[in-house]
Amino acid sequence: MAPLITVDRLTKDYRLTVRREGVKGGIVDLVRPRKRILRAVDEVSFTIDPGEMVGYIGANGAGKSTTIKVLTGILTPTSGEVRVGGLVPYRQRQSYTRHIGVVFGQRTQLWWDLAVVESFRLLQRIFEVPEDRYRSQMAFFAELLGIDEFLNQPVRKLSLGQRMRCDLAAALVHEPRVLFLDEPTIGLDVVAKENVRGFLRRARDTLGVTVILTTHDLGDIEQLCRRVIIIDHGKVLYDGLLEDLRRGPGHRLRLCLDLAEPVTAAALAAATRDLPVQWESDGAHRHCALFSRAETTAAAILSRVLAAHRLRDMALTEPAIEDVVRRIYREGLQPGQEANLE
Amino acid sequence: MSELVLAPWRRAPGASLRLYLGFARLAFLKYLAYRLRYYTGVVSYTIFVTGNAYLFRALFASRPETAGGVEIGGFTLPEMITYIAVSWIGRSFMFNNIDRTLAHQIQQGEIAMQLIKPFHVQTVTMFEAAGEAGFRLLLFTLPIMIVVVPLFDIGGPPRAALYGWTLLSFLLGMVINCQLNFLVGCLAFYLKNIDGVIRAKAITLDFLAGVLVPFSFFPGWVQTLAAWLPFQGLSYVPVMIYLGKRAGPDLASALLVQAAWAIGLFLAGRLLWARAVRSVTLQGG
Repeated sequence: MAPLITVDRLTKDYRLTVRREGVKGGIVDLVRPRKRILRAVDEVSFTIDPGEMVGYIGANGAGKSTTIKVLTGILTPTSGEVRVGGLVPYRQRQSYTRHIGVVFGQRTQLWWDLAVVESFRLLQRIFEVPEDRYRSQMAFFAELLGIDEFLNQPVRKLSLGQRMRCDLAAALVHEPRVLFLDEPTIGLDVVAKENVRGFLRRARDTLGVTVILTTHDLGDIEQLCRRVIIIDHGKVLYDGLLEDLRRGPGHRLRLCLDLAEPVTAAALAAATRDLPVQWESDGAHRHCALFSRAETTAAAILSRVLAAHRLRDMALTEPAIEDVVRRIYREGLQPGQEANLE
Repeated sequence: MSELVLAPWRRAPGASLRLYLGFARLAFLKYLAYRLRYYTGVVSYTIFVTGNAYLFRALFASRPETAGGVEIGGFTLPEMITYIAVSWIGRSFMFNNIDRTLAHQIQQGEIAMQLIKPFHVQTVTMFEAAGEAGFRLLLFTLPIMIVVVPLFDIGGPPRAALYGWTLLSFLLGMVINCQLNFLVGCLAFYLKNIDGVIRAKAITLDFLAGVLVPFSFFPGWVQTLAAWLPFQGLSYVPVMIYLGKRAGPDLASALLVQAAWAIGLFLAGRLLWARAVRSVTLQGG
């Protein structure tokens, strides 16, 4: 399938003024300010197909928001090219923004002093949404987001969760082809987060919109995105399936066993000496085996252990995606994962 | 398969006007919600006019009586008091905080929320200002007139037709003021701290617009300077029209110069905006 979004060697530099120290430095600054170039995004390239929902993640200052701002036409890149559906966001801003929806979690696009419904009516006019489409979209939002409950309240009186629901609806009321979400769950409580994620799943499936999602909450990514792009210091570190990231050879599963009788770790190690397993013990009854899916299986370990011991309970845990990502930020990619880099 | 293409999209001109009028309407509603804030303004504007009126009464009283009555800078005392009252009434209508609001939006990065919408931000700003001006006219300027006009026994212009020309001139003044404020607000893209600039502009404007004192009180070179700047179009020009001191070709050229400034400054704002948006970093990246 032809891509909807093409980002080709996108680079964005910011010029910063660096202050000198002391009174003398301050005076020198007045006459000859010292400028420093900060490269926020460094030759980033990727493509996204229609209907994909991609997680775009990275630590603070990694270049996520800058990329989103270029993709939404707010910023002009220093070099490189961005095309979305044949349009260049920062050159054909008015034409382009008709086709996209944007949610910045930290800001609202609703008119602060007005009732929510006034904002929606204005958006209808801005995007020229026909009345019947408008009504069916609003019915969809009422059903999934429950925004009909506070349509007549001023935006400033909404809770953060209510406001976010309204902002999501506002970003989709004109049925955009692409939806950009920058931290859509920031500051929300667990229930509100679940609501937002549930809604995004339904929106993706029902409306067929292409979504790029940046977030610090990897729970969002796990529940919504098959594909992730990890960016760090302005460069793409990883672009591939979330599943591959987790199942990569560097990442180990944990099989925890509760045994009926006390057993030493050495005894378990002996029982599984033909397998690449590492044992960790938590008391005489509880032991956990760490292993890589590429090297062995939980079944193999279990069969060795059960041959000699009685099992009371067991649990198999995947590596937390947080741990995987944290490790990538810290150490870069494990060998084996590099194959996924484009 | 060929690339999925988003259709280029343009709003029809009629739809554009309807949309932008929608912004004017919403601004009107917004200010209506905050109307209580303006009741105190009626009092303070009345105090400004009163203070200035007494100042000029004292000034005129200090001059020796001549055959044709006292006249300073070409003004009689009733004319002077009318000048003060009408210029403050006009100011109550055209004043706005576009510069402050825009600068705030730029500094806080909120302007991003406007840039992601298919409309022209400068035009939206202008129509919002028009909505605010509509609100001011009805719920601020009108109450001030109801208080000030009988209080100082302010007479009408020498000819009834001048009501219309004065109104037109004040409208042009309001447009000029909006464009100036927009330009100053845009400077926030380049300056870290814009508050000082905004304050300096406000003071300069009241002086160079002729709200405080008519230019004929000043030396010739100040008058020449003022004539070459857009600021006199905010207050001095419309009030002089009201007083009947601009007639015939003078009246026409005064209005044309105002219109020229309004258009010129709008284009300057367009240019500055386009440049600033392309080249400048927004906060919160």
